[in-house]
Amino acid sequence: MTGDMIIFAVSAVVAVFGAVMMIAQKNPVASVMFLILSLLAQAVCYVQLGALFLGAVLVVVYAGAIMVLFLFVIMLLNLRGREDLGLSSHPMNTITKFLLVVLLGVELVLIVKSVFMSGAVGGMMAKPTDDFGSVAQVAKLLFTKYMYPFQLTGVLLLVALVGAVVMARKDRSEIAHGAPSEEAVNEPTAGKVGR
Amino acid sequence: MVPVTAYLILAAVLFGVGALGVLISRNLIILFMSVELMLNAANLALIAFARAVNVVDGQVVVFLVLTVAAAEAAVGLSMIVTIVRNRETINVDRLNLLKW
Amino acid sequence: MTTAAPIIDLNLMIPEIFLFLWACLVFTYDLVTKRKSGNAVAWLALAGPVLTGILTVVMFSAGFYGYGKAAGAMFEVDPMAVFFKIIFLGAAFFAIGSSFGLLKNRIVNHRGEFFGLILLSTVGMLFLAASREMISLYVGLELTTIPLFVLAAFFKDDRLSVEAGIKYLIIGALSSALLLYGMSFLYGLGGTTDIWQWKLEVARIAGKGEGVGVILTLSVITILAGLGFKLALPPFHQWAPDVYQGAPTPVAAFLSVGSKAAGLVAFAKLMIGGMVAFWDPVMIPNDWGILTAILAASAMIVGNVVAVRQSNIKRMMAYSSIAQAGYIMVGMVALNDFCLSSVAFYMFAYMFANMGAFAVIALIEDATGSCEISTYAGLSRTSPALAVTMTVFLLSLTGIPPLAGFMAKYYVFAAAIQSAGASPTFGFLYWLVGVGLVTSVVALYYYANIIKQMYFHDRPSTSPITFDAPMVMVLAVALCGVVVFGLFPEPVLQFARQIPPPYELFQH
Repeated sequence: MTGDMIIFAVSAVVAVFGAVMMIAQKNPVASVMFLILSLLAQAVCYVQLGALFLGAVLVVVYAGAIMVLFLFVIMLLNLRGREDLGLSSHPMNTITKFLLVVLLGVELVLIVKSVFMSGAVGGMMAKPTDDFGSVAQVAKLLFTKYMYPFQLTGVLLLVALVGAVVMARKDRSEIAHGAPSEEAVNEPTAGKVGR
Repeated sequence: MVPVTAYLILAAVLFGVGALGVLISRNLIILFMSVELMLNAANLALIAFARAVNVVDGQVVVFLVLTVAAAEAAVGLSMIVTIVRNRETINVDRLNLLKW
Repeated sequence: MTTAAPIIDLNLMIPEIFLFLWACLVFTYDLVTKRKSGNAVAWLALAGPVLTGILTVVMFSAGFYGYGKAAGAMFEVDPMAVFFKIIFLGAAFFAIGSSFGLLKNRIVNHRGEFFGLILLSTVGMLFLAASREMISLYVGLELTTIPLFVLAAFFKDDRLSVEAGIKYLIIGALSSALLLYGMSFLYGLGGTTDIWQWKLEVARIAGKGEGVGVILTLSVITILAGLGFKLALPPFHQWAPDVYQGAPTPVAAFLSVGSKAAGLVAFAKLMIGGMVAFWDPVMIPNDWGILTAILAASAMIVGNVVAVRQSNIKRMMAYSSIAQAGYIMVGMVALNDFCLSSVAFYMFAYMFANMGAFAVIALIEDATGSCEISTYAGLSRTSPALAVTMTVFLLSLTGIPPLAGFMAKYYVFAAAIQSAGASPTFGFLYWLVGVGLVTSVVALYYYANIIKQMYFHDRPSTSPITFDAPMVMVLAVALCGVVVFGLFPEPVLQFARQIPPPYELFQH
């Protein structure tokens, strides 16, 4: 009992610490690192809750791939410390917003606490079966009952693919009359015609 | 055994921190990561609820949500690349050609 | 646990699959023709929603549907789904038809992607309209909005457009996170993602005297905030004018009709389909009917009042669409037999008038490069036909009698009055209708201001506007829709009345 509790307490503290540090950083690289820390701690919670497979997915896909994509974009654009970012420059505004969010957070916690301590859902926690949250069980549901939304996410990935290409690609006409860039220097200036 | 309530409170706190990030951060990338953190908090709540009601469906939902979040991140990051190319900034305060 | 593989009955999804394949065809065609297809790719894309619409109507009238369920009851075609599918396809038709002008100089590259993404967003809307389960609803909503982020930022070298795209992206992601958080509470209460089963399960738990009130309230608040962002209901409306102003005009039009209708469907499914039984104030202290009514009232007041002060017509239309969303929500909270049918009819009438008005705005923007209201000065002298057309659309948006907009407003307010008269619990609806009527007068002021600019200015600021064939088609269809459905709304209303009343939304 205490072992579980200690693991949870440590991972919860790390998760919140990582999240708070993430928004408090000026440097986006450090920010990404703190978010990864928070995600790793959340993955521990996933495993404690019986979601072994999803814990692994969170580490491999989210912390491992998506966050690295963020890091990659930051490095690509060379955003570190180029301009003074960080927190907002309007102090009054920030304080108001800050109070707002603190109030929101306190409210959320209080409500959740009061409801679950009263035993509406919290009391239902039965001992799970051995294979609860295993790869086999998740996969079985995913490919039978949830086949339809699963295939819809396939369409969504196509959209993301097309969208990302449209957005990130440098078009030739854009280079011709856009801001000077490294590619523009290398390109022959005659390339004014669209492709 | 840790009560499920504890995980739900953790999820609520993470959601609150994410919302705080969206409201106060001036850096577009950190702003976007805060939204991702909010999504993750919702995922944690789903996993906790799946454990509470002892039905795995919640975990499948989280799996699908992770896919959606990946798609959103891909589009969002490519858009950030575009905005840095033609505005040379990721400071939200300076993206003010349109009044917020 | 044994889970039998559900039969995915693809027959019922024929229109959706067809449109998806059509979008792929548009992408491929643009690639194969080496991206020099001219207007052909736009004509090809325009055929997509038309053919899908014909397919949907034919399949429905042939009795092929009729509460058909597929994919283990996650996908259902009911009259509401069919009605909203027609609205989505209509919005896509108008949006594509009014973007031919952009092909001349604004969209040089990625033409296929522009139209293909509009079609894929429509596919998402179609799936959303047919979902009866939380996760497919969520994925459908994301499939609707993610292409719209890209479309809003499609003018990559236009700073306003990119800024609009990034703002829409942040707000869209934020609202879907809120929505998901709210839905996670729903899942935790009922232990199921199916909305109908969830309703039964929660009613059972509540019947046993276990408290579900506070957590239900929490999920109602987060879901309402999420949908409030999607529908741009104040105080969640700040993004809408910026995004509409920066986005390409046809995309702004598509946002104001298609995306709004998608938000309405999600609202109908989650709040009305899932929670109508829990409206009872005894069970939920902060019941969602009152909260929605407050959102609706603030939308009508803020939208109409702020619209008066705008000098950019796209921003004005954004505030006007915020106000229109307020009127629609009046019908939503009526919660009687007419509520969903009046909302559906309102959306139908709004589609013609709003898409038509945006088509005129797009035309003028293509010709003059400006969206300022002063550009419209003296339009009646240079292009009288266009001025008359625009006047009809604006009058319909105001709700002037013989036009479709009037009938729409009439049915929405009638549903609310009927509900208020039937039960004292709904007494607040009298106030809501009162706010609606008063703010309609304000709306008359700013719509009439444009008409005044067009007719009572001696020195025209534009040379005569030339039309191209698709634009003539779009304007003619929209004009016919506004006039014909204003004079003869009965056939459409008959269809809309087949939408089941709130308590039986997913019963079949």
